[in-house]
Amino acid sequence: MNGGRIGGKVLLAVVLLWTIVPLLWMLMSSLKPQEDITSTTPVLAFTPTLEHYKALFSGGNSIGSYAVNSILAAGISTLIAVGLGTLAGYGLARSNFRGKDHVAFWIISTRMAPIAAAVLPLFVIFRATHLLGTTWGLIVAYLSFNLPFAIWIMNAFFADLPPSLEEAALVDGASRWTAFRKIALPLVLPGVATTAILCLVFSWNDYAFASTFSGPDSQTLPIAASQLVTQTEIDWGQLTAIGTIVVAPMIVIGLIVRRWLVTGLTLGAVTGE
Amino acid sequence: MATAVERGSTAGTEQRAPARKENRFTFAGRMMAPALIVLALLSIFPFIYIVLMSLSRVGLIGGIDLHWAGLDNWSRLFSDESVGAAWVRSIVYFVLTVGLEMVLGIGIALLVHSLVWGKNLVLSLVLMPMFMAPAIVGLLGRFLTDSTYGLYAWVLRETGLYTGDILGSTTSAFIAVTLMDVWEWTPLIALIVLAGLSSLPKPVIEASRVDGATYWQRLRHIVLPMIAGVVIVALLVRSMDAIRYFDIIYNTTNGGPADATKIVPIRLYETAFRFFDLGYAAAIGLSMLAVSILLANLFMRTLRKRGLAK
Amino acid sequence: MAGAGGAALWLGGCGSSNSAKPVAGDEWKQFGGTTLNFISENTAPTSAIAANLKPFTELTGIEIKIVQLELAALVQKVALDFASGVGSYQIVYADPYQVLAPYHEALVDLNEMMQDPELPKLDDVGDFIPTQLDAAGRFVDKDKLYALPYDAPTMIWQYRKDLFEKHGDRIKQDLGFDPTPSDSSTWEQFYKTSKWFKDNAKDDVSYGHGHQAKQHDSLMNDFSNVLWAYGGDYFEDGDTVGRLGSSDPGEPILDSDEAIEAADFYRRLVSIAHPGSLGWDWDGLGAAFSAGQMAMAVNWHEFAAGNEESKVKGKVGYARLPRGPKRSANMYGGTGLGINATASERDQKAAYLFLNWATSKKTQLANLESDVGGGTPTRDSVYKLPEVEKAKEPPSKMPNILTADAVFEAWKPENIGLRPKIAAWNECDTAIFTQLSKMLAGQQGAEQCMSNTKDGFMQAIDNAAALRSA
Repeated sequence: MNGGRIGGKVLLAVVLLWTIVPLLWMLMSSLKPQEDITSTTPVLAFTPTLEHYKALFSGGNSIGSYAVNSILAAGISTLIAVGLGTLAGYGLARSNFRGKDHVAFWIISTRMAPIAAAVLPLFVIFRATHLLGTTWGLIVAYLSFNLPFAIWIMNAFFADLPPSLEEAALVDGASRWTAFRKIALPLVLPGVATTAILCLVFSWNDYAFASTFSGPDSQTLPIAASQLVTQTEIDWGQLTAIGTIVVAPMIVIGLIVRRWLVTGLTLGAVTGE
Repeated sequence: MATAVERGSTAGTEQRAPARKENRFTFAGRMMAPALIVLALLSIFPFIYIVLMSLSRVGLIGGIDLHWAGLDNWSRLFSDESVGAAWVRSIVYFVLTVGLEMVLGIGIALLVHSLVWGKNLVLSLVLMPMFMAPAIVGLLGRFLTDSTYGLYAWVLRETGLYTGDILGSTTSAFIAVTLMDVWEWTPLIALIVLAGLSSLPKPVIEASRVDGATYWQRLRHIVLPMIAGVVIVALLVRSMDAIRYFDIIYNTTNGGPADATKIVPIRLYETAFRFFDLGYAAAIGLSMLAVSILLANLFMRTLRKRGLAK
Repeated sequence: MAGAGGAALWLGGCGSSNSAKPVAGDEWKQFGGTTLNFISENTAPTSAIAANLKPFTELTGIEIKIVQLELAALVQKVALDFASGVGSYQIVYADPYQVLAPYHEALVDLNEMMQDPELPKLDDVGDFIPTQLDAAGRFVDKDKLYALPYDAPTMIWQYRKDLFEKHGDRIKQDLGFDPTPSDSSTWEQFYKTSKWFKDNAKDDVSYGHGHQAKQHDSLMNDFSNVLWAYGGDYFEDGDTVGRLGSSDPGEPILDSDEAIEAADFYRRLVSIAHPGSLGWDWDGLGAAFSAGQMAMAVNWHEFAAGNEESKVKGKVGYARLPRGPKRSANMYGGTGLGINATASERDQKAAYLFLNWATSKKTQLANLESDVGGGTPTRDSVYKLPEVEKAKEPPSKMPNILTADAVFEAWKPENIGLRPKIAAWNECDTAIFTQLSKMLAGQQGAEQCMSNTKDGFMQAIDNAAALRSA
């Protein structure tokens, strides 16, 4: 048993190292003076500087507006996706019509479309509806992969819920909507949290749609990152700084929600006995 | 997530209320309607359009023009060696990345699950990579493997393990982009599997421990079968994206060296937006969709067979 | 028309190079209140302009929104924009090979604008370096001008002057020729010199030279210099196909003996180069050279700015590329600014004001001096300005000008390297750099490589023709 435990600890250490080193290096590089970043021998001790972060927020291309666009596009799209997806997921889980499996499969298959092929028809739609280059256009574009995902995950969570509780409420005279809102929904909040965080992450990190559908006023943070790849160089200082800025909010939100998740799941396991 | 016990009770309940079926359907229908309408708008028109494009020659100057070309694009697709080669590479890349992610993800989930203290901290750390934008993972990977100032390149050089340019030779480049993908997405698998592990009924596990089963025996005969459903869900979630994502390769090797990392999505992007051969690109795209659907079908059927489909 | 007199007037305030242009009249202000979108690659002049748009806005009252993208992303957005008919980007960075050739019909013929009496006159068009005006601005038709030359990166020979001084005599003794770059230097000599550095100067540099040989456009750029030097070419009449472009270039001649010889030499050359070469595109090589890892590099002249900010500051010399049996060829990579023909007429005219200003002598000088970006002026007169002449010698306030003599040599019609300007170029480009990458990976020999490339070219031309036929 002891050998196993030591082996386990070594394994854990390796896993943590493998996971953390790139992120740590990214953070460190974003704080290093330029010469230390491009030195041929990795520099571990250096005087931290905020010059790269400052550079990002100054000049003609300040990332402030990019950040705002990212927040709006990802945030609003997530809200809509989670909202509509939770409703649809419940509807799907509690229904039993012929062809239900096919509908469920169709919903998932919409998320499988390769982006480069889907871009042109979406482009045509957006042009017709004047959504090109707008933040709302991005929100709608993100819905194309967030919505199916949300429906599917919420469907899984609702399907796991025994209908007996809702049935009991209905017998007591509650409406279907009340049964949903007061009984089913509170029990799947971990699912809502999971869905929300994953939708948020996928939208926030998207590059393909943003690159195609955004205009001068709606560019998002991943686009800002790619703009650091210039004709003559890649500004690693600013790039690692943007990388840190882009990932930080996601990590923070993810970790906050994660605790919710674990509590909710543990609770679920207990009530399932 | 649900256990086998719960699922049994669900099946029973549904049979008990046939009288409400009509109401249920309309209510459920109304719940689903908004989402499904939006989804239909965003997927049905594009799908039809892509099919039409694949049967046309698409001109871009002065507006988008579709000129009927019958099955030209499709016959070209099936005789195109370069696309065939790209598929082979895609399959290898898919099997390696998803395979490694599943194995490592399950392993990490088991590891974290077995921790007595520090579980939260370790979990937090382990999950971080999946929150990064794939495009930035690619760029970060490029930074780490750069032969002039990359940290990993330096370590490999100093330890004598590898002195060449990591992204400059075919095998090492392929391995590198595979590992970058594995680094980013293993946490997602670990998270899903961990959720499954966390909902395992403790009494059953305890009983087997009392019975004297070793760790590996418990793992093989009790734990793994019980989380099989969750594992397949994780596999499905990851596979759907693994076929289409190419951000990491795009930002590192962009298909090279010598086409070693040129998987189908890269070929698709190139055909659509570099060569502007949108009809052919539509055909390639539809073939990718077909493969994804086949794969998803396979997984769903497996789930259903085990009585775990929702 | 702001010739020598205007320049003198304006030079009086040398430091304040960003003050408004002293041209009288309202013609500049007629579109005040308009907002225009400018889509550009991440290139030095755009960075410089983006950092200081005030002069233009003060001059015209027009607001400019700038979107800078990687070239591939730019090509995608521009094509979609042309197709959409929306004209969201009125001012387009029209890469001659990836945007101008396939989409010249979507760009406005600037001659109309230039002849419009109500629009401000362009600084002397003859001031643009002639090869550049044709290469960046025209397609097939000599009478139509689609873009004004905006930047002009050109591949030249960059070498460590200090190391050549230190070892020059020994090299002369060992190899039998003076390695210092000159008009008579050949590629074979380049090869031998590089090998010498690699074998004998380990204390100073790890390798003799490096390439930008990633499976990328850069590989095509790099190889082309050698191809042309050895007498090979992409098509018959490469001069016209390269300079003006062609709608029907004929059959590729990449399987000629000269082309195969060039490919084989290139293979040998890369085999002794810094191993990182296979992973470097436009970016990595410059960084490695600036980090002092090699004695020479064939690289774009705009990297001089980076050199002068690194540890090799003051130690780098610049020259025209070596010659092969036929000539010395120096790949030209410049681009012009064009106007989107799908934009409204009013926007087009407003855009013309921006083109005028952005390619004017004043602005090009300002770009050179800007903190951001290095600038690569396309006007002859800029290079003749006294402070620019002064910057040719180190220490220089405009590091890119250290290369001025070398690039002026490179831009001469007999030395300039112009790749084919044809609608099918993107796919041809991919064909050649993929086959070259396979050759460099050891998967095929030179002859097979060139033969496959030729097949790829013909396939690409067929595909492009099929797409264009109604």
